[in-house]
Amino acid sequence: MDSTRAPVAFGRWDVPLLFGRLQQPEAAERLRSLASLCDLMRDPERLYRTVTGGFLEQLQDLLKDEDPSVRSKTCELLHLVTAHSIGRQAVLSSSLLPSLSQLLDDSSSSSRINALRALNCLALLPAGADALLCLVPKLMLKLQQQDGEDEDDGDDGDEEEVLLLSTISCCSRLDALPALASDGVSLLGRKLTRRSPEVRREAAASLMELSIPVEGKRQVCEGAVLPVLVGLLQDEDVDVRTNAAGVVMNVAIITAGKLRCLDLDVVPVLLDLLSKRLEEDERSKALVLYSLRALTALAEAPDGRRLLLQQLPLLARTTEARHPDIRRAAQTAVRVVTWTP
Amino acid sequence: MASSSHGHKHSNGLYTFSSRPRPVDSSSKCREPSSERTQYNYGNIMYDRRVVRGNTHAQHILPTTAQPDPAETQKQMIKKRAAARKQAWKQWRLRTPEALQGRKHIDVQTELYLEELSDHIVSTHAECQTDAFLDKPSTPLFIPAKSGKDVGTQIEEGELFDFDREVQPVLEVLVGKTVEQALLEVMEEEELACLKAQQRAFEELRHNELAEVERLQEQERRHSEEKERRVAQQKEVLKKERETAEKIAARAYTQQYLADLIPAVFTSLRNHGYFYDPVEKDIEMNFFPWLMAEVNNTLEKRYIAREMLDGHLHAIQWCLLNCSGF
Repeated sequence: MDSTRAPVAFGRWDVPLLFGRLQQPEAAERLRSLASLCDLMRDPERLYRTVTGGFLEQLQDLLKDEDPSVRSKTCELLHLVTAHSIGRQAVLSSSLLPSLSQLLDDSSSSSRINALRALNCLALLPAGADALLCLVPKLMLKLQQQDGEDEDDGDDGDEEEVLLLSTISCCSRLDALPALASDGVSLLGRKLTRRSPEVRREAAASLMELSIPVEGKRQVCEGAVLPVLVGLLQDEDVDVRTNAAGVVMNVAIITAGKLRCLDLDVVPVLLDLLSKRLEEDERSKALVLYSLRALTALAEAPDGRRLLLQQLPLLARTTEARHPDIRRAAQTAVRVVTWTP
Repeated sequence: MASSSHGHKHSNGLYTFSSRPRPVDSSSKCREPSSERTQYNYGNIMYDRRVVRGNTHAQHILPTTAQPDPAETQKQMIKKRAAARKQAWKQWRLRTPEALQGRKHIDVQTELYLEELSDHIVSTHAECQTDAFLDKPSTPLFIPAKSGKDVGTQIEEGELFDFDREVQPVLEVLVGKTVEQALLEVMEEEELACLKAQQRAFEELRHNELAEVERLQEQERRHSEEKERRVAQQKEVLKKERETAEKIAARAYTQQYLADLIPAVFTSLRNHGYFYDPVEKDIEMNFFPWLMAEVNNTLEKRYIAREMLDGHLHAIQWCLLNCSGF
């Protein structure tokens, strides 16, 4: 028998017995039971039984346990639970969220990462994102702390950042104001220059969400974030480029944004992206769309229109693209460019 | 003492004795009369002081001499008194009265069978020894007589249990379950990946459309702002024009009105007599009234004179009339 796992009973008694074992005083015993539970929870049937049996409340005590490996395993278990919708609903309706959020300050990094993973899964659900909105300031604070640490923190620090950023972006999709209020724009701007592409991608995605309300657009314009974003438009990773183009697209909608973008000479870059990516790959479709929309927004300014009138043939070529969305976007762009007051 | 012991002599001279087993009574210092003893005071034989146990070599036995020293007697008396005092509160026990002078009490065995109490324990020695072994031939091997049939059987290798055959179903189940689990997991992962891809597509579309909507909104806002500004400007212009026209009209009218004004004013003033020749005025104002006043005066005088004259004339006339009348 595997010594790191507790023995599992047969049939319907497996989950209740293991949960009963969790009350034992020795930490090693609890760890073994938790490991077996983690294995079992991958089965949706058992998960359903666990959730409807109301065993999740017992995990509340375990989250405050002294042994860090027990805490980390409990978080892993919660992460598996939140992988299914019924688990997510159960976690949301129970009172586990405050304890989970307390674990974000935990000393051991594995429990922090697992807690973040669980929160991330929760945030994918709109109701979950709603519940996590109150946590957004705390998450921003943690991001700031991460910023203060060394650059070469290794994979763990990166993963934490990625998870934090993706949770923030999911919550901001619902309502970006809390993140904006805690000075999100400048913080995320600093993250745009990190080494790992995932961090950059998530940071750009969060910025895209944040730049949807008007306040966000203004902040992005005023901050020194735009030049960095324009630099990111030529990054190696496709997702980073896509997200950066998305931010530019959002920002160019307001007049100040248009002017700044034109100052930074972003039009040639976007045209470049368009011409390179006319092939129909799934990942770059978004890039093409965002670039087109950004160009459309920029074309509303007279300077932009002048520049783009010269590039009209390129845009006309894009209208013959295969994907209907791209076609529509290109037609809109052409229409805007050739509009006269 | 209700003892169920009885011994009786048989006819052939044998004597038998039998009694029911009874526990040993716990000794009491003073035996009560047998009639009062209703209950046996059973005592544990292990803790009975009368039972001899242990090393008997240093046993404390009654002294064989009947005449102890007086000092020893004294000691014994003291001990007895102490013990007596200890137990005095428990129960008043009858004691043997003290011996008279010159006499002494002596313990005596009163049982049926007297024992010799001495420290010399009677022992007997007994030995035994087996005889020396006699030489004997070895016993032959015992082979029982043969009965029944001889049958032999042997299990060859592979006859009872063929691993490959037996393991087949177990293996099938194991592999099947593992593969099924793996397939389920792969399908789940695929489903999740599909869901994620769908979510991504949705997100992109949403962002796209959101951007478009916002752009259009912004455009609308700008256009409407622009329109309003233009409209306002136009209104301004119109208003100015109107004002200017009004001003011009007012000006023209005023001019026209004012052109006639001065002669009219002068005429009116002249008509009202505001322009006058001062001498003429003066003559008119000052001279003429005086003149008229003088003239009036003069005329008045004349009138008065005339009237006086008239009066006189009348008077004369009347007088004349009156006088003539006669």
